[in-house]
Amino acid sequence: MLRYTLTRIGQAVLVLLVMTVLLFLLINLMPGDPVDNMLEGNPSLTAASAAQIRELYGAGVPLPVRYWNWITAAVQGDFGYSSIYFRPVAEVLGPALGQTLKLMVATLVLSVPLALLLGSLASLRPGGLMDNLISFFAFASISLPNFWLSLILIIVFAVQLGWLPASGTPLETNPPIWLEVRHLVLPVLVLTMFFVGPLVRYVRASMIETLSSDFVRTARSKGLSEPQIIIRHALRNALIPMVTVLALGFGGLFSGSLVVETIFGVLGMGKMIFDAIRYVDFNLALIGLLLATLVTLISNLLADLAYAWLDPRISLK
Amino acid sequence: MMIAAPASVAEIQDAHSQASGAATPLLRVQDLTIAFPAAVGREAEVVSSISYEIGAGEALGVVGESGCGKTMTSLALMGLLPPAAQVDGAIWFDGRDLTKLSARAWRSHRGRDAAMVFQEPMTAMNPVMRVGDQIAEVLVRHEGMSKRDGFSRAVQLLASVHIPSPERRAQDYPHQLSGGMRQRAMIAMALACRPKLLVADEPTTALDVTVQAQILDLMLELQEQHGTAIQFISHNLAVVSEIAHRIMVMYSGRIVEYASVGDLFANPLHPYTQGLIKTLPEMGQPGSDLYTIPGTIGGKRPPGCRFSNRCPLADAGCRQAEPALREVAPRHYVACHKVN
Repeated sequence: MLRYTLTRIGQAVLVLLVMTVLLFLLINLMPGDPVDNMLEGNPSLTAASAAQIRELYGAGVPLPVRYWNWITAAVQGDFGYSSIYFRPVAEVLGPALGQTLKLMVATLVLSVPLALLLGSLASLRPGGLMDNLISFFAFASISLPNFWLSLILIIVFAVQLGWLPASGTPLETNPPIWLEVRHLVLPVLVLTMFFVGPLVRYVRASMIETLSSDFVRTARSKGLSEPQIIIRHALRNALIPMVTVLALGFGGLFSGSLVVETIFGVLGMGKMIFDAIRYVDFNLALIGLLLATLVTLISNLLADLAYAWLDPRISLK
Repeated sequence: MMIAAPASVAEIQDAHSQASGAATPLLRVQDLTIAFPAAVGREAEVVSSISYEIGAGEALGVVGESGCGKTMTSLALMGLLPPAAQVDGAIWFDGRDLTKLSARAWRSHRGRDAAMVFQEPMTAMNPVMRVGDQIAEVLVRHEGMSKRDGFSRAVQLLASVHIPSPERRAQDYPHQLSGGMRQRAMIAMALACRPKLLVADEPTTALDVTVQAQILDLMLELQEQHGTAIQFISHNLAVVSEIAHRIMVMYSGRIVEYASVGDLFANPLHPYTQGLIKTLPEMGQPGSDLYTIPGTIGGKRPPGCRFSNRCPLADAGCRQAEPALREVAPRHYVACHKVN
């Protein structure tokens, strides 16, 4: 188990290294020159100082050398300077990462138990009233556009009822926790709604399959009650395939909540990566994208470990 | 002709026989009919008005091809029929009619009064739960044992079905056991609460022939020890004859012949039973072709006798009226127009 984990970590590092090369190449293929961008915004800059800046940023140096310079600095914790925030990348990334983690954790804590509950309930009588209602909710969750739902929720809860703030981040510096929670309610609601639909469908399908399996019939023949059969026998087995779905969703949630972050004014990873690419902030975009890669790798590793923990038939060697 | 007795009459009879001290059989199935809402191209009635008995400690073998209704009959005894099934008739077990049980009463019946062993030991156990825990679960449910006591009892039970190193096996997960061992563990689970009736649905079919013999030996041994009544279902007449006292041959949802093992083999009366016995390969006759009964059981039932479209003796009369199950010799019943 330990050896397996170490091997997997080794592989993850390798994948991450390959990704640095790919991302570095891709970022450098992007149209637009960062120094040109800087000069554009500052007409008083002279040609001489422009050349100086170019040299400072290493514009004339060949690509492999630039990559080498960047990667050696990066492994030492120097991620460079963000050209749109005029601050070191690490300082910009920290708060964005914090915001995204808050959104992600709250969304997962809400949507996973909700999906298990709704999916299981729907599976008890496929085609029944409960199943139809839950399936309707799930399809609504899958089909409703994020931005539309966000706007509707803002109109109803922030504008008309005035119960909740329309933005995802409080204006105050060092706000109290309850205030932060109030601001997170709407964006987390939208993300949960977005995340929970497919999960419900997977749980339902997986539970229907498990409930018709032989060992559930055996559990019934022992005289166990339905809740015992469902929780002790069916759910754990039905959960095993769910792990993959969750791991995939994890990566998507990390960098994919751009729309929600934009509407609610949350400066999270999605919005930060998007801005960095849009305004040709090489350093920020590189580290942001690498972080997204890292999260996907880690969630996949955790998924494999969870598999072995849930299913004794899988032994990790 | 077995005339459908109204439930009230059956109850009076039952009360009467109990009051007079006459031996009431442990299980008495009366005019049991199991039907499903008709699906296209399938018969709605999978079991049609069958009646039989199992005495305490008796082993009844149920034989027939796939689709004859033998599995549905056994599921009915456990209350495990699919929810869509419509059940008519009565199943008297130990003085009460199982068809009238509430969901709660069914749960205390299952596993305690009657237990079941299934065909596929590979899939019949929960893959993510230790074997010992799965056995202990029945004891915790019905005997009110603690989990820990249930587990140590499970180890004893595994030993009683001759599983080597039972302490270690109880800690194992099902996939770590061989097919034969898993079926032994299933039997240990079924017998954990000393049920009065064990329903075994093709318990040896999925196993190797040598393992099959071991499991049959084990079931015989346990039956002698505990006096458990058994309903043993199989498509294999030879396997059933190893364990059963009486045999019930089913065809297309009906009982066609019902007799003691000796009578059935010495004097098979129904053409279907005769066909089944002929299909048994004989030892020491190399090169002889295996006998098959022509046709298959599926499809639309013919009018009259349900076997008439495959029967070598069938005539016009057979295609008109369904034959009733008659007692033609003491405790030897057959349903065929051609038997006098």
